[in-house]
Amino acid sequence: MKISADLPQGVTALLFDTARRRRGLEARMVATLEERGFAEVVLPIVDYAEPYEPLLTPASRGELYRFVDRDGELLALRADFTPLLARLLAPSLPAGGDGHDRPAPALDLPQRLFYRGDVVRYEEERPGRQREFYQVGAELVGVAGEEAEREMLATFLTLLEAGAAPDREAATDREAAPDREAGAVPPVRVVLGLAGALDPALLAAARRGADPAALAAAVARRERGTVRRWDGDDGVLLAVVEEGVPADPDLLGEEASRRLHRLLALCDELDEEFPRVELVVDLAEFAHQVLDPALVDAAGERSYYDGLVFRAYLGHLALPAGSGGRYDSLFARLGADVPAVGFSFGLERLMADATGRRRTRPSPVAAEVEDAAELVAERGLGVGR
Amino acid sequence: MIRLALPKGRNLTPTLAAFRAAGVPLSGLEDNGRKLWMELPGEGLGKEGERLEVLILKDKDLPLYVEYGIADLGVVGTDVLEESGAELLVPLRLTEGLSRLSLIGYPGALPEPGAQVRIATKYPRIARRLVAQRPWGAEVVELSGSIELAPMLELAEVALDIVQTGRTLKENGLTELETVTDVAPCVVVNRASFQRHRPEVNALLERMEDAGVAA
Repeated sequence: MKISADLPQGVTALLFDTARRRRGLEARMVATLEERGFAEVVLPIVDYAEPYEPLLTPASRGELYRFVDRDGELLALRADFTPLLARLLAPSLPAGGDGHDRPAPALDLPQRLFYRGDVVRYEEERPGRQREFYQVGAELVGVAGEEAEREMLATFLTLLEAGAAPDREAATDREAAPDREAGAVPPVRVVLGLAGALDPALLAAARRGADPAALAAAVARRERGTVRRWDGDDGVLLAVVEEGVPADPDLLGEEASRRLHRLLALCDELDEEFPRVELVVDLAEFAHQVLDPALVDAAGERSYYDGLVFRAYLGHLALPAGSGGRYDSLFARLGADVPAVGFSFGLERLMADATGRRRTRPSPVAAEVEDAAELVAERGLGVGR
Repeated sequence: MIRLALPKGRNLTPTLAAFRAAGVPLSGLEDNGRKLWMELPGEGLGKEGERLEVLILKDKDLPLYVEYGIADLGVVGTDVLEESGAELLVPLRLTEGLSRLSLIGYPGALPEPGAQVRIATKYPRIARRLVAQRPWGAEVVELSGSIELAPMLELAEVALDIVQTGRTLKENGLTELETVTDVAPCVVVNRASFQRHRPEVNALLERMEDAGVAA
């Protein structure tokens, strides 16, 4: 009998050199986290589905693999580490102000924790969309304010350098293309923003008749026509679409302006510390992450993040290789009154763009069909999510 | 280097017109025969010394090339973009080359509530989303071309397809039963490329708006 080597849609086996590279990347990241005082937690891949129901959005509900166990319990495969970790820690942390009857907190704060392992999410069948992927992530629980955000962002950037950079540097060394500009390894770029920073501008547009959820999506996709139609006289939303931040941050309102000034200062500071990573503040990217109750009602979901939010992009890939931010409200919704900042990386995406290079056009001037197809094959469309 | 993805087929003419109106000549593309990947010497989006390359792609493949950064930006119909689900920036829609995505069939063929029909289409994801919002059920039959034949030969009761002038429908005795959405060629930009080439891309988009070829 001939045995098939096929695997289900969206999962991949890593063999030989790919497996070695993935383990090497993971080891570098884990070593960096341990050096910085983070302790590992090992979490189950199967859990009850019910505790996460209040946290699910229509999109995340559709991604869950759920099934009924033989004893009748509704279970889910792990789709994310953070809610699972938060649920396990919450009973041992200081209670929120809603009268939870709970013994004295058992955990000292702060806690610096990290995890690694597979997560499984349903994805429509599309090139490059995996259903099982491997994450390394970290959480700092119990430190409020910018101190925690700075520490976690610096850790995120250190991991980017420790994880992705060595492969990328090796790729640069191997670079033999005559056109250095076209074939050069593009920078590792981290885009930073603030959840809720555009809420005042979106609310103002809603008062002018805009659908704020649709407008927020248009800002995130930089749809200039839609944004121009609903923008105020100050043009703040169009400025954000074009430049990421308005020339005058005060146009965002007092609170958002104050937060933005501090974020820009943090960005400048970290820019010097991490010269191999390009830091960009861009509020448009996170426009749909709303916090105002009226906008949450219109959008049907509240931002997972409460403050700082960031994503890492490698090379030309449109999907982030890592992301994170402040998510105090997650613990609050699980009954614990503690601040938290965290992030995670998808290792397949970090590896997918190890070279980050784009194939240069061969001479003579034109190429035939086969060359265009090779471009796709070479960029490894089978990996990353 | 900036790499531009241009669509084959019905969207190529309005795309060339829009770029040319914005000061990017895209010289000689009509005379390039079967060449699919070329450099246009002396052309660019405005940054001095930056080279411009052009890929000529099938509409259906174009979002993927831009999403993966093989091309920095391109033009593709909103129909194909929505079907693809690609994570792209969509800053502008062209004002020419407009069409509609419509349910087509013989007159009176629009399904009644409770009916179970077949829909033939090149857009199975859009069709499934459409059916989920309707009081009738449908099996979605994916085809790759000549969609009008499906209702004519009773492979399906209705088809979901692009209607531009309606002439093909008329010549075959079919009608546009319902317009589902308006469709336009739109400029799409890779997220990383937007950050990397922001000044040139913004300037190009502004020139297109100023020339009235996109909004």
